[in-house]
Amino acid sequence: MNTGHKFLVAAYCCTWAIQLGYLAWMAIKWQQQRSKLPSRTGKSR
Amino acid sequence: MKKLFLFLITLGVLALMAWGFYQAIYAAPTEATMGDVQRIFYYHVPHGMLSYLFFSINFVASLLVLAWRRSNPARAQVADAWALAGAEVGVVFCSVVLVTGPIWGRPVWGIWWTWDARLTTTLVLWLIYVSYLLVRRFAAGSQTPALAAVLSVFGALDMPINYLANRLWRTQHPSPVFGGGPDSGIKDPDMLAAFGWNILAWAVWGLAVLAIRIYIQRRQQAIDAASASAALAAD
Repeated sequence: MNTGHKFLVAAYCCTWAIQLGYLAWMAIKWQQQRSKLPSRTGKSR
Repeated sequence: MKKLFLFLITLGVLALMAWGFYQAIYAAPTEATMGDVQRIFYYHVPHGMLSYLFFSINFVASLLVLAWRRSNPARAQVADAWALAGAEVGVVFCSVVLVTGPIWGRPVWGIWWTWDARLTTTLVLWLIYVSYLLVRRFAAGSQTPALAAVLSVFGALDMPINYLANRLWRTQHPSPVFGGGPDSGIKDPDMLAAFGWNILAWAVWGLAVLAIRIYIQRRQQAIDAASASAALAAD
């Protein structure tokens, strides 16, 4: 594996780690909200 | 029906991301001087350009928060959700720029970082929006969205400075790929196609993430309103 290739892999892995990490954080927040949500009888949005 | 629609959207976004990755790694030719490491360009530059888009969404929404906060609080809340989501997604995209930039710079320049105008203003931009998110997270009281909105207006001032940094001053960072004079632009059509596909893919990804974040924030506002009402009823 040449040096440039290693840097390329590192950059792409970091990109996906940051993007998917944020997505995972949102999924956790979403899950936490489910127990707290008011009943959907009125306008909740 | 709604679930099917969401499933198809998710499938479309993932297909676009996979296609963008294929274009960047396999379809685009290897650059003559930098070699494989130049392919970082297909992720680094779209993230930089799209961070401007999301910070601009934050800016416009923040102005609307300030305009509507007294006359139309319900609308101001919607704008506030957009502002928060825009800042968060912008910070995520800008973080990618700040991480992939040094990874690209090390083999090409021989250094991870230098305090030139482009890099420094990008770091300042990131820090301003991180401070915006910290204000939103830790400041107490009903004025927090308005305070954060004011901070966001100042943050937006750094965007044109950041954009112009490598046009106005000599920087270690390369001159602009687009809009940087007669010699700028991508000459190779395959490289241009790979770049275009990745801009599109990351834009669709970012907008999908933005939509999810707005939805979560609107739910949070409903939860907060319900708990405030419950607290008042208990008194």
